[in-house]
Amino acid sequence: MHPDLILAAGASSPAIADAVASAIRLTTPLLLAALGAVFTERGGVVNIGLEGMMIFGAFWSAWGAYTYGPLAGLAIGAVAGAIMSLVHAIVSVTFRVDQIVSGVAINTLAYGLVRVASQALFHSATTSPSVPSLTRIDVPLLDRIPALQPLMANLSPLIVFAFALVPVSWWVLNRTVFGLRLRSVGENPLAADTLGINVALMRYAGVLISGLLAGLAGGYLAVEQTSMYVEGMTAGRGFVALAAMIFGNWTPVGAMLASLLFGLADSLSIRVTIPHVPYQFVNSLPYILTIVVLAGAVGHARAPAADGVPYERSGE
Amino acid sequence: MKRRWVSLGLSLLGPVSALLISAILGAFVMLAIGKNPLQVYAVMISYNLGQLDSIGSIFYRATPLIFSGLAVAIGFKAGLFNIGVEGQYYLGAFFASWAGVYIKGLPAYIHLPLVILFGIAGGVIWAWLPIYLKVKRGAHEVITTIMMNSIASAVMLYFIHDVFMDQNQGTLGAPRVRMPPIQPTARMPTMLGFLHAIGIDMPNYVAINWFLVLAVLAAVAVYYVLWRTPFGYELRAVGQNPQAAEAAGINTKRIQYQAFLLSGAIAGLVGLSDLLTYFGYLDIDFPKGYGFSGIAVALLANNNPFGIILSSLLFGFLERGGLGIQALAGVPREVTTILEGVVILTVVTVTAIIGRQVRAYERHMAAIATAAEPPVDTRAPGGGQ
Amino acid sequence: MAKTPLLTLTGITKRFPGVVANRDITLSIERGEIHAIVGENGAGKSTLMRIIAGLYQPDEGQIVLDGRRIQMRGPRDAARLGIGMVHQHFMLIPRFTVAENIVLGEEHARGGVFSPREAQERIRRLAAQYQFELDPAELVENLSVGAQQRVELLKVLYRGASIIILDEPTAVLVPHEVEELFANLRSLRQAGKTIIFISHKLDEVLEIADRITVLRAGQVIGTVPASQATKEQLAEMMVGRPVLFHLEKPPVKLGGPPIGVLEARDLTVLGAHRREAVSGVSFVVRQGEILGVAGVEGNGQTELVEAIMGLRPVAKGKVILLGRDITGQPPSTIRNSGVAFIPEDRHRQGLVLPMSVWENAILGYHRASAYRRGIFYDLGRVKDRVRNLIRTYDVRTPDINGRVETLSGGNQQKLIVAKEMSSAPTAIVASQPTRGLDVGATEFVWQQLLQARAQGLAILLVSADLEEVLALSDRVIVMYRGRIVTEFVPGTLAATTIGEYMLGTRRDTPAAVGGENA
Repeated sequence: MHPDLILAAGASSPAIADAVASAIRLTTPLLLAALGAVFTERGGVVNIGLEGMMIFGAFWSAWGAYTYGPLAGLAIGAVAGAIMSLVHAIVSVTFRVDQIVSGVAINTLAYGLVRVASQALFHSATTSPSVPSLTRIDVPLLDRIPALQPLMANLSPLIVFAFALVPVSWWVLNRTVFGLRLRSVGENPLAADTLGINVALMRYAGVLISGLLAGLAGGYLAVEQTSMYVEGMTAGRGFVALAAMIFGNWTPVGAMLASLLFGLADSLSIRVTIPHVPYQFVNSLPYILTIVVLAGAVGHARAPAADGVPYERSGE
Repeated sequence: MKRRWVSLGLSLLGPVSALLISAILGAFVMLAIGKNPLQVYAVMISYNLGQLDSIGSIFYRATPLIFSGLAVAIGFKAGLFNIGVEGQYYLGAFFASWAGVYIKGLPAYIHLPLVILFGIAGGVIWAWLPIYLKVKRGAHEVITTIMMNSIASAVMLYFIHDVFMDQNQGTLGAPRVRMPPIQPTARMPTMLGFLHAIGIDMPNYVAINWFLVLAVLAAVAVYYVLWRTPFGYELRAVGQNPQAAEAAGINTKRIQYQAFLLSGAIAGLVGLSDLLTYFGYLDIDFPKGYGFSGIAVALLANNNPFGIILSSLLFGFLERGGLGIQALAGVPREVTTILEGVVILTVVTVTAIIGRQVRAYERHMAAIATAAEPPVDTRAPGGGQ
Repeated sequence: MAKTPLLTLTGITKRFPGVVANRDITLSIERGEIHAIVGENGAGKSTLMRIIAGLYQPDEGQIVLDGRRIQMRGPRDAARLGIGMVHQHFMLIPRFTVAENIVLGEEHARGGVFSPREAQERIRRLAAQYQFELDPAELVENLSVGAQQRVELLKVLYRGASIIILDEPTAVLVPHEVEELFANLRSLRQAGKTIIFISHKLDEVLEIADRITVLRAGQVIGTVPASQATKEQLAEMMVGRPVLFHLEKPPVKLGGPPIGVLEARDLTVLGAHRREAVSGVSFVVRQGEILGVAGVEGNGQTELVEAIMGLRPVAKGKVILLGRDITGQPPSTIRNSGVAFIPEDRHRQGLVLPMSVWENAILGYHRASAYRRGIFYDLGRVKDRVRNLIRTYDVRTPDINGRVETLSGGNQQKLIVAKEMSSAPTAIVASQPTRGLDVGATEFVWQQLLQARAQGLAILLVSADLEEVLALSDRVIVMYRGRIVTEFVPGTLAATTIGEYMLGTRRDTPAAVGGENA
């Protein structure tokens, strides 16, 4: 934590670009997880276990990158997240257990599993050795502009991927049959059921997508951002991503904008000192912001109508 | 009477089968790292039950879990998720520590209870914002409490490191990041003297203390409040059917508010056993994770206070066992953490399934009994004419 | 020249635990006709329709479609046979567009790609084909109720239905929407579709239907061509023989002239879709009097009761109890002022199902000091009182510690009635108090209400069961579409006339109605 810059009017241009670049980097894991959350919640399943899936993804992608290289690592991390989410889907969709309880259990489970695996594989419960990252890329043409240099050069490909996923997600949700049916299941599963749609299957799909993306988000943290796995590196980002989704009104673009806001808060929190305010509170900015958002957003934002309610076809 | 036994049996079925399934899954994990599960479990049992210090340690470890489980359970009973016990107990420990260090000149029989009250206050204060936002703005308490947990860590760091750090540590090397030691008048004595007097020679390093008794009393008190007072009745009604509660004249919002603050109050006690008996000062490395373990404890016990005592002992058993199997069988102690997570999942799943089957069966029996009564459509109009 | 009927039902019987919903029903539907099925609540109309739509399977009997015997295992089988149903409660997704709602599940999309514009074009053509007024791009939540109904109609037409079943389609429509619906139905008939619809609104049925079948208590009473039927004839078939009631009513003992206890003054309450569910309702219930509120369910009675009990906000007007304005007070205040409440939905508002019988027996009165020693309950005393209660009120339960959800519906209701009556109230608001109860339980509840009346209580009785209202009440008001359309003393009006008030075909002027309550 280096409180080495005080942002004020007239700060130098590279410093601003630097802060923005840092914000974008910090946004990426939030964005991935928040996009995943959009899919699961539009399908009607609340996924509090996003944090646990990120942890799981972070660890396994570190192991994968260590053993096979960064790309394989990220893929393995995504799959790991998906496997965790499968447990959540089975428990909350098939067995209709309360979705919040299931999510909390997933978080606990992930935490324990990762510790054991880390101890077994790396002989340390809390850290991994350093792992290789993906080669950095530069955005062609734009990286020639000096002012934009920090933003457009030396980017992790995953950042580009994450932002590209936003329009893709929008397209899947609004321009495919799958997206239409997924959304219907989150709004009125009874109506969807009477029209012949397999509610459980759709919900599973939404949950698995969120697991994949949360695992990938964890993978970004471990492989791309710090080049190693450290226990606690997710630092509540899974929950912040949920808040971003809510703030973004359950849409991909909204989730992106909200994640950027949180990413900016995160970036400021490590770069800024406010006179008389202890740095710990500045660091807590993202969490405080989440609470503010939740306190204000509800009432303006509209969740999918059947979000969080297990679907039970009542007999005659 | 038979009904009582049947329903007791059914309510135990969930936790017991969950434990069995968890044991089996844990066995798989052990096999995966090349250990013999039977041998590992045997080591765990003999280590835990074969030594007096283990037994004492289990009770010591169970103490914070009982408080945590009770806090979570009260929330659940009212239909609320208090995931913020973690942050609430940090604040409770901090307030208690402050009162124990800086309030001087009080005799022990006033100081200690006062410090405990400060601990309770810390928990209540930290629980206030989430429930206020929930009741007034509908903000989901799961996320807000989790955020409060993260903020609590930051607050603790600030107060312990920047404001109240003990400057007079006088040891060589880097000073520990901790607050000054708590005065002796605010320390909670251990039960060793008492145990010795009744013939149990517990070794000195086991910190089993009177908070255990307090925890058990708290469990009894929670039971009586929930099932023997109007307040507890309203709390349970709101948790089970808020609309019927509303129609019956119960003020659901006020009950939710009070229940959550009560939960926070008990959460404030969670860290005090460690703080006031074992450590004697508030350290940046103060034990974490009791809040989440409390959720597991409460779920395993189906939110029943007496069950919570048992499940806390079980988790204490697992954690102690973790030490044993690590030292004696070379199995990482984190295996027990996995077991905790698996236990939660299996318990809630099995309980949900069993609960549905039982209800369907009972309804089926009731429907048959109804059909045995004369059907509606042969009713003669209005008593004849 | 005889045509073979399109659809023939023979000997259809359907049983549910404790009740025979359809008994030996035989009727036939002609091709290309509009056929109405009428009857009171509980006559078995919805069950029969669900059987035809494939949602239920009959216990006995057979269905013949176009000369072939059919068996349907679910709504999809029915859809394949060309049978589609428009439910009374729409199965729509408010946040989707009209087109999305209609094509969902049958998107006919290539490669999984969904184009809203293309779907909208398809729906535009479909709507034009049947001359329906609909904008396929509009969100369903922005549509009027009539338009939403058209979406449901298009849903079944899109799936190729040739037989269309409509369940109480005009229940939620205002008059000009009814006209639009009828125009649509006529054009569907012209296109060769066969329409079956359930209703209890005789004027409308006579206007649109070709033939009318009357059901009562699960059986077919008769089928008549609409051109030959009259309202009076239909009402009499629906309601049965005129019923004169001579229930033994114990005499009312009062200290002096009866004072007004519960009063509604110009009460207006909002309901679903922010429409007025109750409009300018005024009445007074006096000591020792049962005021009955008659009317078909869904005409504002639920909202009226909720507003009186403080469970729903009052938009305009007042509720007065013994001279005190209790409008908008919380339920606890109203109950503590002496108003007992028997809710119409015992599972939602009357009981906490996971709790035990004895715990439910004190619900609403759980703070009574008689139950406590200090701050704790004296369980012995509580359970003794509960045992007394269930003995006095004949609630059959093997164990008061068992969960209340295991009790039969009848016994659950008796428990609620018992606990409310035994609290010595000054007024009782009872909504559908004998719904789902058997003979014995029903008569018992009636006796309780009459005894309460004898003791000088004021009772507001809301019931869709006309027999019950007429048997118990001293005065009756009829509600239709949120307004009081008449007031009378039982025995002074013929059943058919009452039916006309309930069905909206007759109403008194507001002055004539309000006069009684001055």
